[in-house]
Amino acid sequence: MIAAETASQSSFVLLQIGARRFALPAGMVAELAPPVKLHTFPHTSPSIAGVIVRRRRIVPVYDAGPLLVGKSSSGQQFYLIARRDFGGAGELGAILVSGECEMATGEMRPESDRPAYVAGTLTVGEESLDVLDLEALLASAARASEPASAEAQS
Amino acid sequence: MSLSTTPDREHDGKSRRSRRPEAVVLFWVANQMFAIAAGAVQEIRSTDSLAGAANEIEHSALPKVRHTLEWGRRTCYVVNAGMHFGLPITRPSLVLILRQMRAAVLVDRIDRMTEIAAVYPLPHAFTGEERHWYRGLAYVDDSVIPVVQPAGFLTAEEFAQLDCTAGGGGSQREMHGVVQA
Repeated sequence: MIAAETASQSSFVLLQIGARRFALPAGMVAELAPPVKLHTFPHTSPSIAGVIVRRRRIVPVYDAGPLLVGKSSSGQQFYLIARRDFGGAGELGAILVSGECEMATGEMRPESDRPAYVAGTLTVGEESLDVLDLEALLASAARASEPASAEAQS
Repeated sequence: MSLSTTPDREHDGKSRRSRRPEAVVLFWVANQMFAIAAGAVQEIRSTDSLAGAANEIEHSALPKVRHTLEWGRRTCYVVNAGMHFGLPITRPSLVLILRQMRAAVLVDRIDRMTEIAAVYPLPHAFTGEERHWYRGLAYVDDSVIPVVQPAGFLTAEEFAQLDCTAGGGGSQREMHGVVQA
């Protein structure tokens, strides 16, 4: 990871999915994992690509590509591991990302006319990035893939 | 901020896993390996050897169940594991006859019997039918594989549907897919 800016503002992890870059609040990010083996097995949960093993834990892997950039993530994959909360039960979850991540600090500007999974925008240099709300993103991804949720991965 | 995490008890699955080593049968369906508790399997037979004991269900309510199997003093419904898990169609060659269940399962082949150190709970992120299909996940060699839930092959509702179609009777206990030992 590369520190893009330093300031006393909120920190964000900048990640790439497909050809686009997004930001995620750094506080919920646990680790950026290298391309380790993705284990797959049949299931009907939308947006889940499989699981990886990280520090002796089984971590589910989410593919946000179809919702964010219109296609599944492919190529060299890293895993951005974030913390999720399931009614008080903490769990790690990994998002497939296309390359190395960066860190930046800045002030998120709220946006009201964007999809629910966009919490706001963050300006980094000349670039304006969507800041993702991970829980809303995964909920949206689940809704978007409901008709085709009978997929079975092997 | 460091992006490298340290072990975190809140997220540590160790406290929730079943720690007792367990003997399992590893089997394959359409290039996917599964584990099932060895104690849940009464017999493993080739499909050829059971030809005389199997009866076709003419208009099965469930595509994954096309045959019944007369086994001992009970009638088992034969579940195609590939269809159950939504996997590509194969030609299963073996039948796992489940213990204390009115179900048998068609699989492609047996890998081996082995012991797993633990069954880890399925992550909460999994919210679909797999929560009924699997008891959890296990490490086998360098892979993570699902440990199937024997009672997950047919629900009570599916047994009821099949009993209507196949004309099967049975006791109330049998209606829920379990027979007396």
